[in-house]
Amino acid sequence: MDHGEEAASGSERIHVRSGSLRAAPPATLHLLPCEVLASRPAPVQRFFTPAVRRAADGLQVSFRGRRLRGEEVPVPPGLAGCVLTEEGQGPAGGPPRRDLDRLLGATGSFRHFTLWSLEMLPGPDAKVLRALAWPSLAAAIHAQVPED
Amino acid sequence: MDLSELERDNTGRCRLGSPVPAVCCKEPCALGVDEAGRGPVLGPMVYAICYCPLSRLADLEALKVADSKTLSENERQRLFAEMEKDGDYVGWALDVLSPNLISTSMLGRVKYNLNSLSHDTASGLIQFALDQGVNVTQVFVDTVGMPETYQARLQKHFPGMEVTVKAKADSLYPVVSAASICAKVARDQAVKNWQFVENLEDLDSDYGSGYPNDPKTKAWLRKHVEPVFGFPQFVRFSWSTAQAILEKEAEGVIWEDSAAEEAQEQPRKITSYFNQGLQTSSRLPHPYFQECGLEAATSL
Repeated sequence: MDHGEEAASGSERIHVRSGSLRAAPPATLHLLPCEVLASRPAPVQRFFTPAVRRAADGLQVSFRGRRLRGEEVPVPPGLAGCVLTEEGQGPAGGPPRRDLDRLLGATGSFRHFTLWSLEMLPGPDAKVLRALAWPSLAAAIHAQVPED
Repeated sequence: MDLSELERDNTGRCRLGSPVPAVCCKEPCALGVDEAGRGPVLGPMVYAICYCPLSRLADLEALKVADSKTLSENERQRLFAEMEKDGDYVGWALDVLSPNLISTSMLGRVKYNLNSLSHDTASGLIQFALDQGVNVTQVFVDTVGMPETYQARLQKHFPGMEVTVKAKADSLYPVVSAASICAKVARDQAVKNWQFVENLEDLDSDYGSGYPNDPKTKAWLRKHVEPVFGFPQFVRFSWSTAQAILEKEAEGVIWEDSAAEEAQEQPRKITSYFNQGLQTSSRLPHPYFQECGLEAATSL
């Protein structure tokens, strides 16, 4: 993960507060096989977490009356998981920035997440699991070609 | 009735039964099947069987077991206690299907309707009695759906017995009345002692009868909608009453199988055909990335 600043198009730039990456508290992440059409706080600890059951071959829970099967997926070695949230432009501390700049801060960190799928265990061909193999391939593709 | 196994974890199904009276393994027996809690939007559905030797049917009748619907809760409990006292010749077994099991069965990728679930549960309990060595020769069942097709199905499943499926069997045959009492007592007890899986602080347990047409039940449901999760697992999500409230009061949720259904139903907009030139100009990512579901970020 790039700790510096990332250049966006033109003059708009997005900064990641690098201090927040180290300070971010652990977060629990679930990836559901459905789309909830709103982004909002939800009482996960009261409704979802206590309903998770551990079976011999994986996890089990239900959401909206449908049966989900899940497994814990680790973040690949050499990588770190973080939840980034855009911070308001207000005077939340830090030096004043140009109006066009945006600021992200890490609000959570994770080393694994729970991948859920409808009724059957996700299986090795799940898109998400394939995507997690990309960084190691990317490292090879973008590695410096030795000059002969 | 000891339902502690159910109270420990009520997310699936729970089977329990009385010890099998020795006489039931020797003498030919009649077995009755009935259910409680088929209609409610709240709580579990309970299936029960009750069996006794044909020679002792008169004794069972003498207990004045009757259709559980005509009895008060106290009378049902008293009769169940009488049956337990007569445990030397009367046996019973239960299958408690949690509301969560009912929801997840009916809302599965492959729909499993309530009638099939009921029929399979009934056959499962009859088989359970046979596996325990009960010498069943006659089976009486209170019907779910058409009695003729249900009877044919059960008869095929258990060719060695005489199967009778009838509407109102619970008021015609004492073994079915006895089974209906077991089912109702278990359902009452399960609902009263329901352990909510969720950690809900300000839950009021004043939900009325649990039937969809009960205004108290409807009010309780409306009060306990959670915008993201919907309802606690005590509610049968598959009931249309529950679904109608979710549609109005909770956030929309799209599943992979529901999205596919909608895509098939929706014809393409006519303008989409004119835009094809524009669409093809943005190149699709390499198949590797399509298989991973990855693309370059442009929205941040």
